[in-house]
Amino acid sequence: MTKVAKPQGKKIKNDSKSWQFLCSVKLAVIIIIILAVACILGTVILQMRPPEDYVSRYGEVFGKLFLAIQFTDIFHSYWFAFLLVLLCVNLGCCTIKRWRNTVLQIGFLVTHISIIMILVGCVIDMMLGEKGGVNVYEGKSVDYYLNRADYSKVPLDFQVYCDDFIIERHPPKYRLLTFVKNKELEKFIPPKVGNKIKIPGSNYAVTVKDHYPDAEYSHEPINTSNEPGNPAIYVQMLESNHVTAEGWLLAKDRNWYNDAKRDLKIEYLWADTDEDYERLAKTVGKGTKPKLDIVIEGKNISKSVPVEVGKSIPIDGTDYVVEIKQLALDYAKRDVPLKEQSSDNPAVRVEISGPQGVETRWTFSKYPDYKDKAHQAKYKDVKLTCYVPEDFSESANGLKIVQSKDGKQTLSYIKAGKLINITDWEIDKRYDIEKTGLQMRILKYFPSHSVKREVVERSGNHEGHNHGPGEHVGTPAIFVEIEGPRGTVSDWMLANNPPKWYPDKNFALLYEQSGMAVKDYKSILRVVDGGKTVVTKTIEVNDPLKYKGYVFYQSSYDPEGERYTGLQVTRNPGIAVVYTGFILLCVGVVFIFYVKPFLRRKLKKGQKVEDYYSADEIAAEHIE
Amino acid sequence: MDFTLNITFYVYIAAIVAYVVREIWRTKALRWVAFGVFSGALVLNTILVMTRWYEANHAPMSDKYESFVFFAWTIALVYLIMELVTIFIARVHESRLGIIGALQSLLSAWMLYSAINTDSTIKELPPALQSNWLVVHVINYFISYSALSISFSAAIIYLIYRAIYRGRAQEIVMSGSNSQLRKDVTFDKLAYISVTIGFPFLTVGLITGSIWAKGAWGTYWGWDPKETWSLISWLVYLAYLHLPMILPKTKIKKTIAPIILSIVLLVAFPVVLFTFMGMHKLPSAVDSDHIYAE
Ligand code: HEM
Repeated sequence: MTKVAKPQGKKIKNDSKSWQFLCSVKLAVIIIIILAVACILGTVILQMRPPEDYVSRYGEVFGKLFLAIQFTDIFHSYWFAFLLVLLCVNLGCCTIKRWRNTVLQIGFLVTHISIIMILVGCVIDMMLGEKGGVNVYEGKSVDYYLNRADYSKVPLDFQVYCDDFIIERHPPKYRLLTFVKNKELEKFIPPKVGNKIKIPGSNYAVTVKDHYPDAEYSHEPINTSNEPGNPAIYVQMLESNHVTAEGWLLAKDRNWYNDAKRDLKIEYLWADTDEDYERLAKTVGKGTKPKLDIVIEGKNISKSVPVEVGKSIPIDGTDYVVEIKQLALDYAKRDVPLKEQSSDNPAVRVEISGPQGVETRWTFSKYPDYKDKAHQAKYKDVKLTCYVPEDFSESANGLKIVQSKDGKQTLSYIKAGKLINITDWEIDKRYDIEKTGLQMRILKYFPSHSVKREVVERSGNHEGHNHGPGEHVGTPAIFVEIEGPRGTVSDWMLANNPPKWYPDKNFALLYEQSGMAVKDYKSILRVVDGGKTVVTKTIEVNDPLKYKGYVFYQSSYDPEGERYTGLQVTRNPGIAVVYTGFILLCVGVVFIFYVKPFLRRKLKKGQKVEDYYSADEIAAEHIE
Repeated sequence: MDFTLNITFYVYIAAIVAYVVREIWRTKALRWVAFGVFSGALVLNTILVMTRWYEANHAPMSDKYESFVFFAWTIALVYLIMELVTIFIARVHESRLGIIGALQSLLSAWMLYSAINTDSTIKELPPALQSNWLVVHVINYFISYSALSISFSAAIIYLIYRAIYRGRAQEIVMSGSNSQLRKDVTFDKLAYISVTIGFPFLTVGLITGSIWAKGAWGTYWGWDPKETWSLISWLVYLAYLHLPMILPKTKIKKTIAPIILSIVLLVAFPVVLFTFMGMHKLPSAVDSDHIYAE
């Protein structure tokens, strides 16, 4: 075998120049360098963004150029694929040409072949492999998953049950960060009750003096002055002597309350002058109504219409008809009657009919131009914005509590848009609201309402709302004393709240939770094939379930409520080839650099290097 | 902890001085002084690594602070092994290593300095990092990086010597391989040897990383910035290893070839360091799961 190589090598040598070039190290180095540069570009230029991004980021000329030469998705571009093919060809050709079957050659052959195997395996996976994901609710099963590229359903010929989903958490840890502003100095100190800690490089010192394992802010309303700086009243609603609702209304802030069940809106209004008073107490204003703005991009058409459900709006100059289908004051509660929704995340549902059929779209007043990634917009040029006033209410009836600077205080009752009566009110008295059977009472009046926030230790077995019974983990608080150029200050700090600044505004403390709280996600999966349970496994990150060539990875979970487990599903038919390539590559490089140098000396004692080494090898291994 | 960290840092600084002194006077007596100071720093660094391992209850290489301390440790370890091999197995005078020891302890000191300025609170491992592949992957990488850092230092020294002996290039090539002149300029050889030590570890690191990614994220290669940059580092060293085969066939003079190779190494190691510490500077970093938390 060894002998065959020579004449063959000779024959090929006489072959065409292109074969020579295909075998050459020169081509190899060129490819390697271009690949490296392409990889650099692939991390420096953002990849796989929408085309508009590139034009806005790199300008018209370069943006378009990058798109044209596929710099926007380098790793999936044709030229990158071509480079990899060329690399394989180069490796293949040079390996064939060099084939000499000697022990010393093993490393060179194995590494080069292994790289071809890895690339071929990757291609197999890209062509025949599958990748996607699926969420499985606890106790439920799936017999499909969603393809990652287009979210289409791919059927599986077996069922995967999620019998249980478990999150294991670490007990949370907290840390105390100190920051000296003029020196940009950040340092962590232990948040434990203990001795004074000097902050190096500054003249501040911190002492943690006390600690509550579980604390909270108490918000105690207080009155700070008798001037009406921030008038507020505490109102109670009663029905047959039962308090049905109560709370503060602030004239200059949240000044209304909507009683959805009784179709009643209560408002607290402040009048600085007599005219104001007359207007507020005695007229029934028409509140602003929600409206929808429709803009057709590129056509200079814009329209603003009131939101009236059921109304169709033809857009002149286009083929579009926009029909308003639904108004929600709180998108999350969009399926309950409008009157029972409080204004939180208002949204309008419309149907746009046009040449490509009907598109249904939600448009949000707080997220203009929202496009859900899962629902591709058909009519991208139609931009919708809706506006829903903060205090918008569907209630037909209203109760206005009006108070003026010079002492007038009255109640105006409005029914079906008409003022029915006005009465004076006093603190602590009950007032019947016409014939509704309801009563109301104003318990307190603070001319200058404010809130005193204070850290208090939480007592009793208060359950946090995100945890199951018995799982409540508290929010700790520490009592810190800071010494500095302006003397000593001290205060309580509740974890995960904004930083506390020393009076000179140059030193701050931040008490926050650190590290990952989640220890592990686990799902108990059960595969049922042909009616029989075939595999059961508890999977976790780094430990997937394998069945029929499919692999199910723990990849995510339901962030609220932990009701389902997020699985990633893959099928890699080429993986055996890739992994064999991996092993061979490791073996090959270890052979070349760790074994060969010793073999060379042992095998060929007394012989000259030139006798058994090619010129390339001598050059490659820096032999003199 | 903080105290030992600071002390270790200063012992590394002392090792720099010791190696510089040794290189200037080149007396036998100083041979083991420099080695001893550097070893002392290594012992202290070992204590840092072990106590961290004990306190954190996971292999101490999962966040920035731990990686800095661990990298400083492997840099010192790999260099000191190399020095022992040079003296006792290769039986070459340590002047062949010249001032490399000073540069290596400088690098270790820099890593510890970075550690001192990094948040050292112990963090719980996120689920994706709880894998034995991670440990294999990281250890391989740090050993590799340490060896490759030697090639970087050697390339610098080589270029400096070439600048000093400018105009005597021919003389160097002609002089016998035992002449002092020749010995002074064999640093390109040392650089090559370090690459051959480091490159297999780099390869294994890349592959084990890929296998780990498959287990944790379901894809063995996803063109994540860190993955891409470790491929770039690998490609640069691959180019360095193949380059000597084409240089003799070009018009480039034989004496210039080592300069070109040294310059490649000068570029290569910063690429490695960027892969290790610079990922957050990339615009594509925002989507990556792979970067040390800031
Ligand atoms: C870990 C990866 C690699 C290692 C360790 C490696 C190692 C080597 C070695 C030791 C030689 C000298 C062979 C001899 O004469 O005995 C060589 C030659 C060569 N390598 Fe690689 N190589 C690797 C990857 C690559 C890649 C990716 C390419 C392709 C682009 C490549 C292309 C070549 C070419 C074209 C030759 C010259 C063969 C000839 O002259 O006939 N190598 N390689």
